[in-house]
Amino acid sequence: MSPGDYIGALSMPFRAEARPHPLTMKFPLVFFAALVVGTLGEQLFVGDQVLRITASNEKQIALLRALGEREDLQLDFWRDPTKPGHPSDLRVPFPSLQAVKIFLESHGIPYSIMIKDVQQLLDEEKKIMLLSKEQERSTSTFDFASYHTLDEIYSWLDTLVANHPGLVSKIQIGESYEKRPLYVLKFSTGGSNRPAIWLDTGIHSREWVTQATGVWTANKLAEDYGRDPSITAILDSMDIFFEIVTNPDGYAFTHSSNRLWRKTRSINAGSSCIGVDPNRNWDAGFGGSGSSSSPCSETYRGPYAHSESEVKSIVDFILGHGNVKALISIHSYSQMLMFPYGYKSEPAPDFQELNELAEKAVNDLAAVYGTKYTYGSIIDTIYVASGTTVDWAYENGVKYSYTFELRDTGRYGFLLPSSQIIPTATETWPALLDIMLHVQQHPY
Amino acid sequence: IFEKDSTVNCTAEVLYHLGNKNAAPDVQFTIEGELKNTDEADNLFYNRIKSLKNELVAENIPDSYGNVPPEMEPIRALAWAASGYVIWKNSNENTKYQLAQIKHVKQVKRSDEYLEFDYMILLHENVSQEIIPWQMTVLWHPQHGIEVTQNSRQPKHV
Repeated sequence: MSPGDYIGALSMPFRAEARPHPLTMKFPLVFFAALVVGTLGEQLFVGDQVLRITASNEKQIALLRALGEREDLQLDFWRDPTKPGHPSDLRVPFPSLQAVKIFLESHGIPYSIMIKDVQQLLDEEKKIMLLSKEQERSTSTFDFASYHTLDEIYSWLDTLVANHPGLVSKIQIGESYEKRPLYVLKFSTGGSNRPAIWLDTGIHSREWVTQATGVWTANKLAEDYGRDPSITAILDSMDIFFEIVTNPDGYAFTHSSNRLWRKTRSINAGSSCIGVDPNRNWDAGFGGSGSSSSPCSETYRGPYAHSESEVKSIVDFILGHGNVKALISIHSYSQMLMFPYGYKSEPAPDFQELNELAEKAVNDLAAVYGTKYTYGSIIDTIYVASGTTVDWAYENGVKYSYTFELRDTGRYGFLLPSSQIIPTATETWPALLDIMLHVQQHPY
Repeated sequence: IFEKDSTVNCTAEVLYHLGNKNAAPDVQFTIEGELKNTDEADNLFYNRIKSLKNELVAENIPDSYGNVPPEMEPIRALAWAASGYVIWKNSNENTKYQLAQIKHVKQVKRSDEYLEFDYMILLHENVSQEIIPWQMTVLWHPQHGIEVTQNSRQPKHV
């Protein structure tokens, strides 16, 4: 018999038994604590065996019960003898084995050895439990190819930090409207207030492929530092700040109530409609025609610029930091890479450079799976949009401000199948790298 | 024109009526090449629905995770085609509609040879970013094609 056989035998529920057993899947905490204490010090069950005994008549049942009363033997019935023909299970401590077996054989009571060594089994089980705990803690077994809940992502953030302590840390930059923490991952190899790159995903909660891409990308950054020369060069001189769930209230709402929710979940005074479009709430062209004044609108700008804590927290962070050199805000869908301006048609002063870099990035993205992106300023590529993240960043000293619209072009739209998460993240990676490398090589 | 294993180019000339905002745009199109013959799949689907004991009912296609059960693909394709008509009728140069999801679909039993489906769909309008519920009644027959007999915009849920 192999350990696997033992375990299979032990998972059988001993429903007739009121006594707790150390080897069933759920055992009382007290017993387990005792077990742990035992295994820490001495080994309690070495050589002990579990015998399966099937009494064939009432006389044998009586004999078995009498055997169990003998205190000197320290016998432990896992399953009490009840009726003839019904098996009972008995744990026999090593010193009592001989005596018990002779007793059973001399009375003609049939038995078989169910567990040859209880301690061995306990050790095996402990090993398996530790392994499974380790697996849960390993970031590489997190399923990147599926969509996760807010709690799962927040839990994974801690896992990532635990697995890359020298490189990644988690900071809280504020709270959402519903008082959820706003977490940002900091990737840094040291220095003091190094020039930094800001990345965000999930500002519009229904764009699920973005949070999922964020998780994959954060993992990639951590894994590839020290292996990929580009990432290593970037992180050796710059810091990266990554907010994966930029709108946690909205994200929770897409899971609990409305999959297609876009905005924040703030209450609007005087209206039954909820939420502000966090990508129309920034103080750049705020209030312009590329946003709505109606709280019921999906592009509602909010009562005033930075009214949303989700937005204000980022504003305060970036201004407080003072050395952010690039900002990339990731959305879906449409397959586009855009830069300022959205609120006016006048070209940005750095138009040429931003445009050339965008072209390179989308070409490298297309090289992976052939996915075609269009690129240009927001207003040229998509439509007029006032109060956007990238326009604000650009007007506050962040020259390299970009926004992505990831897959697809409308076949699935927001409801992108999870099978496309990894391909999307994989192809976007070289585009992100192009931008970050360019920023690193062109300090200003 | 979407199709997993065959892509056909289509060029179209779209003329928006600047004067009359409520008129559907004029569309002239040319398909370069030939569309795949789908008679076999059409008839299979037709016979499958015709032989159902109870009227087909389904919701959330695709679901939140982008999944479409294989047997619902034709239902989805039908909605895609029918929504194309609704979108065409409601487009102007400031709109960009996509079918976001089939919220609900119910087959309506008919005594004639047509299949009838009552759809509640969600359209995503890319400029306003609105999600617009829309009801449409769709008639279909493998040989006679598709017809949207009724369609109406629905109020948005707050």
